[in-house]
Amino acid sequence: MFVTKNLKVSFAIVFVGFISFLFADLSVSTVDTTQLVKDFFFSIIKLTFNDYTTLFEAFLSTISIAIVAIFISAILGFFLALFFQNMFVRISLSFTRAIHELFWALIFLQIFGLNTLTAILAIIIPYSAILAKVYAEILEEHDTFPQSLRGKSKISYFIYTKIPDAFPHLVSYTLYRFECALRSTAILGFVGITTLGYYLSSSFMQGYYNEVWMILILFYIVVASVKWWFNKYTFLPLSIASFFYLDDFSGFSWDNLVRFFTSDIIPHPIRNDLGMDKTLAWFDNIFSNEIMPGVFNTIVLTQLSLLLTAVLALILFPLVSKKFFTKPTNMFSHVILVILRSTPEYILAYIFLQLFGPSMLPAALALMLHNGSIIAHLMGNETNLLKLRVDVTKKRNEKYFYEVLPRVYNQFLAFLFYRWEIIMRESAILGILGIATLGFFIDSAIADFRLDKMFLLLLVTAFLNIIVDLISKKARAYLRANDSFTSCGCSLK
Amino acid sequence: MAFYLEEQNISYGDFTVLSDFNLSIKKGEKVALLGKSGSGKSTLLKHLFDIQKDSCTYIPQELGLVNNLSVFHNIYMAKLDENSLFENLSNLVFPSSKYKQQILEVLKHLELEDKLSSKIANLSGGQKQRCAIGRAIFDAKPILLADEPISALDEYLSDKTLKLLTSMFDTSICALHNVPLAIENFDRVIGLKNGSILVDKACDELTQEDRQKLYYVCD
Repeated sequence: MFVTKNLKVSFAIVFVGFISFLFADLSVSTVDTTQLVKDFFFSIIKLTFNDYTTLFEAFLSTISIAIVAIFISAILGFFLALFFQNMFVRISLSFTRAIHELFWALIFLQIFGLNTLTAILAIIIPYSAILAKVYAEILEEHDTFPQSLRGKSKISYFIYTKIPDAFPHLVSYTLYRFECALRSTAILGFVGITTLGYYLSSSFMQGYYNEVWMILILFYIVVASVKWWFNKYTFLPLSIASFFYLDDFSGFSWDNLVRFFTSDIIPHPIRNDLGMDKTLAWFDNIFSNEIMPGVFNTIVLTQLSLLLTAVLALILFPLVSKKFFTKPTNMFSHVILVILRSTPEYILAYIFLQLFGPSMLPAALALMLHNGSIIAHLMGNETNLLKLRVDVTKKRNEKYFYEVLPRVYNQFLAFLFYRWEIIMRESAILGILGIATLGFFIDSAIADFRLDKMFLLLLVTAFLNIIVDLISKKARAYLRANDSFTSCGCSLK
Repeated sequence: MAFYLEEQNISYGDFTVLSDFNLSIKKGEKVALLGKSGSGKSTLLKHLFDIQKDSCTYIPQELGLVNNLSVFHNIYMAKLDENSLFENLSNLVFPSSKYKQQILEVLKHLELEDKLSSKIANLSGGQKQRCAIGRAIFDAKPILLADEPISALDEYLSDKTLKLLTSMFDTSICALHNVPLAIENFDRVIGLKNGSILVDKACDELTQEDRQKLYYVCD
């Protein structure tokens, strides 16, 4: 009698999450875990770095790559948004979107080598696809001018009637994406490009935890202060300066590009004309040894992390809500959540991996902390907007379960579904760290220089993401969750 | 003849609002359309606009203003089709003094001259309506089709604005709610009820019975 749509969906999430628990390997395998954790966390008190010039340059190159990439992505994204109604554009963009920027970096590494060009392209390609989609949504949402009054000069009318109302929203979304680009660029260091991630991982491997903290804390400061140094007054000079600052575009080679598309990624039995049987055997081998386990593990990690994210968000959001705690607690929790959500999942997972050894545990923890804090933050904002009656109960638990949670539960599920696709994309990529999700097999295919296999696995990864995206859309429609949004939900997409 | 409709079915979406509808309006006529909401006034006006876009200027009920642009830009938009893309772009960023002067003249008639550079979002409902009227005047087409253009104006401004509209356009067809204002400012009144015409007469030929019918259709 009391079974609502919300409840059914939540039950499904919990059920699948539990099943995933049973299949997930969550073991701790480092020998001296407690000591390691202690060493790591205590080294925060003596921040140093052995070569500050290098550190400074790493920051400069991370920031300038992010700026150039977002600048070009915004322009490309805007033009693509104009053609978003076109089926072909829509489908190819959802494919490019579904592949993580680190995978793009791995692809371009094969074509152009280790240089700035690779880094910028790796950001531009997925980011312009994401921006195109969201720009198209924003432009459609702000289409209030009556069709009948629209005249013949289409471009003039577009500029006068659509752009003015949509512009502030386009700008604020682009700025949010810039923050993401900073994080993505930093992570590109993990595949060898000399951005922050590169120095972070090398300090970590040498056991210089104080350097790791130094990089992390400076990075938080840079991200948290974005709106003071990257805004409408500074973006043009900064973009121009970044274009001039960056060099090392020398790796561009048409021959490599052509070879990559016409030869490298063609399955080798087809390339060498070995006949149908060999081709099928090639495919069958990859399918049963890599695609099946890769897809399975990716789904297990995704669903497990989704459930953990949900639990963490439900626990954390009262801490940042004015409805439950006073200002000091709110402020303190805010700082913690900002730190958690500005640390890329990849870096969190990397740190946990060093501390706990390879299993799904580091990845699941990282995904839980990052996504849980994002959703908790948004939920906190939603609950602050709620108007409860004056004589509402003072007991926190009763308030939580009777007054607040029922009111925001629909939004909560919507947030969770929005993050689902992102969790899936990250689950795949975290395979590079050694967990047997799709990223693991992609990374090993590249290491063996079997680019045909890499390409096939990437297609599978993209396909999996698109399916999740479609299910999430269906689920949100089923819950009518989008109607209940009060915030734009920008930081979810 | 400005418009001539004979046994037409006019629909709003899939729903036929006016069936077997007959109407003729001569050039130079000032016509007031009276009737409750839902009587078919808006559908009729929209239809008239659709069949003669080039010679008509149309003020829809929702006004069609762009919230984040200034009054200047919203009025200038009437000329988007006439001017080149380059000129439109440059006027968006740096409004030319020529157009500013012309639009200021229009705004003076509407007592809105101090709002030239205000954003639409910061205007009151009545000010927005006058801005839409300003755009129609600046459009300078021979026929005006206006859908309740004065619904948010006070008595003084309603009267003044209607006089302005009827004098600025050769032919005007206005949907209204206010019977005395309609009779005072227009040559001919048409009373619509549920998609059919109850009254259609020149204002100086109205009998007491006609007037009662008009009040009846507007109630």
